[in-house]
Amino acid sequence: MTIAVPRAAREDLGPRRPAGRSSWAARRDRRGLWFIAPFLVAFVLFMITPLGYAVYSSLYTTKLIGGTSFSGLANYRETLESGQFWSGVIRTVIYAAIQIPVMLAISFFFATIFDLGLVKFGRVFRTLFFVPFAVPGVVAALMWSFILEPQFGPITRVFGVLGVHNVDFFSPSLVLPTIILIVIWEWTGYNMVILYTALKQVPRETVEAALMEGASVWTVILRIKLPMVRPAIVMIVLVNTIGALQLFTEPFILGTFQNQAISSNYTPTLYIYNTAIGGQQYNLAAAAAVVLGLLIGLISIGSLLFRRRRGELG
Amino acid sequence: MRFPNKISLFAGALAVSLLAAGCSGGGSTAAPPPSGSPSVSGTAACRSGATPVTFWAWVPGIVRAVQAFNASHPSICVSLSNVGAGSPEYTKLTDSLKAGSGAPDVAEVEFDELPSFEITHNVVDLSKFGAANVKNQFVPWAWQEVSQGSTVYAMPGDAGPMGLYYNSTLLAKYGITPPTTWAEFAQDAQRLHSADPQAYLTNFAAADLQWVLSLMAQDNAYPFKYSGGSNVTINFTGPKQTAFANYWQALLSAHEVNATTDVDATSFADMDKGIDATWLSSAWGPSYFATDAKQSIGAWRAAPLPQWTAGANVAANWGGSTYPVFSQSQHQAAAATFSEWLNSSDAAWAITKTAPSSLFPTYKPLLADPTFTGITVPLSGTSTPNAVFSQAASNAGAVQWPPFMTEALTVSATAFAGVLNGTQTVNAAFSSFQNTLVKYAQQQGFTVSTS
Repeated sequence: MTIAVPRAAREDLGPRRPAGRSSWAARRDRRGLWFIAPFLVAFVLFMITPLGYAVYSSLYTTKLIGGTSFSGLANYRETLESGQFWSGVIRTVIYAAIQIPVMLAISFFFATIFDLGLVKFGRVFRTLFFVPFAVPGVVAALMWSFILEPQFGPITRVFGVLGVHNVDFFSPSLVLPTIILIVIWEWTGYNMVILYTALKQVPRETVEAALMEGASVWTVILRIKLPMVRPAIVMIVLVNTIGALQLFTEPFILGTFQNQAISSNYTPTLYIYNTAIGGQQYNLAAAAAVVLGLLIGLISIGSLLFRRRRGELG
Repeated sequence: MRFPNKISLFAGALAVSLLAAGCSGGGSTAAPPPSGSPSVSGTAACRSGATPVTFWAWVPGIVRAVQAFNASHPSICVSLSNVGAGSPEYTKLTDSLKAGSGAPDVAEVEFDELPSFEITHNVVDLSKFGAANVKNQFVPWAWQEVSQGSTVYAMPGDAGPMGLYYNSTLLAKYGITPPTTWAEFAQDAQRLHSADPQAYLTNFAAADLQWVLSLMAQDNAYPFKYSGGSNVTINFTGPKQTAFANYWQALLSAHEVNATTDVDATSFADMDKGIDATWLSSAWGPSYFATDAKQSIGAWRAAPLPQWTAGANVAANWGGSTYPVFSQSQHQAAAATFSEWLNSSDAAWAITKTAPSSLFPTYKPLLADPTFTGITVPLSGTSTPNAVFSQAASNAGAVQWPPFMTEALTVSATAFAGVLNGTQTVNAAFSSFQNTLVKYAQQQGFTVSTS
């Protein structure tokens, strides 16, 4: 996954301050500009400008024979009609539909265990669970490529000892589950920490009151704690859905080992990459990138509206 | 030279992954910059004031040749950078050529990628710098692939003439003599597999487009025609191509060849363990396999490729590099001097033929040199594989690469994946691959013919 989310996550989960619009307006001061200037410069240089350039170049077409010419929305038409682009989108949606619930369930399970204080050295284990997140996706994909290698990989050998021979984790039917496995390994600890922090925010009194009324531990977990950390879960689902659409590193690295297992349009971002680098069709790739960006934007806005309607956003 | 990311899995994957990290828009962990400023080497002996020439290549140990050139040519100072093997280098080349600055003066470019730089007018005609004088020092096909008429777009470097590399112990065990025709080859494949259902005469690496194209070329079924300009032929479905597909599909359908990958740990393990008895390989193949071979060391022999017509002597080439000078260069004459020295001098080849470079020449004087053809390697016992491969280097025919091989290679693994897992025939894959390439070529403005 290629998205940076921690900041957004923290903002959303932290204690809510009663920061009204009026007080901000009252404190508005030109000097503040100087503080945000470094960010603004970087934002314009590395975000707005490339975005603008992508939109601009998506309106042109460069051919090996004939050179560059304005082609209007032709690249967008090509992208929208491209089975290759959409099959990648559909694959990432299937991927998300499996990966996100499984990862959420595991994260919530462990977050609850730590929250209840059921294990000794909880802090140590929480850190250990978090460690995979510190491993870059590239390294994780490389590592798993070796672990699951069809001939020599330790996991494959264990399967062999158990009587299951010739398991090829990179075969067309297993490569998607393999990617899901790698991503779950990478991100479960991270999301567990988010959920754990959210669980810790549930007021003690609420839980104690419920227990006084005779609620079982299960009831407390499923009927009180789970609903109260729902904003965190919604946030995790959103962030991971976006991450799924941007899935690149893991399939790309697996593809360098087993290039027939990962098609050139396996995910939308791989399609964009291969269209630009392999096919030298930078304009078409720019259009596909804009379409993907809009798709992600729509999902984000949709989720924002949904949460606002439910009163989850201040 | 071949993409080493297939050879040394880890180093290669790491290089690619650095690229990936650079392109994925930054993860939540800061990715290191992708080798943005590669270290420059080979300049230790340079005098101040010498004409600077920048050189990109990935051949291991080629820095030794650069140092030797700088020592013997005091007025020129070549500096070497390794910016990645194969496609990572081409990406950087294409980008810097498009940007108008930052390209090297000389670079290593594989035979199949050279036309992609010719069509964009990014390479210099080396005949201006006396390249035609060395024409006769190279095997004809290599010279044809770097030139159009009297225009010379690059100096040919190393090559990968093909042969049948076979495990002599294993073939002897089944009473098989190395097949000399493809008809015999098919019979032997059937015989060996029925004798031992776990073993195969050879593997068929459908997803390795360059390998498939080389075998097609040997069968006079090469699918592309391109000699500059806007006309290109893409023909995977003609009678010759269909016959080629039928031949291999019959062996695949009968499970008499091993449908797998090539030049990777899996295929080398299959060869070493006696699952694959032969490898339709090239001159560089044995040195790649040598590091993975354990129990079969000493058993491997080279023979000429089987022939479609009994008694014929048709060879093929798989891989190899050329060394063009780029039009962006401010020092084209000096750059041409270096490229010519590197590829057509005994002094340079005396270095690059040795490990770790281990280049196989297109340079005729070395191909005919008994000290070169008589080299023995542990993998092949007392036999001399270079004698077979040198002969193949002379017998191979020239092919015409289309100016969009990067695209062809990018989509080929996907197009042929079904052949590997048995869900698609070679014929069907050829047909859909042709459609994909034709569509691409038309989008790029070419006039495409399919026959």
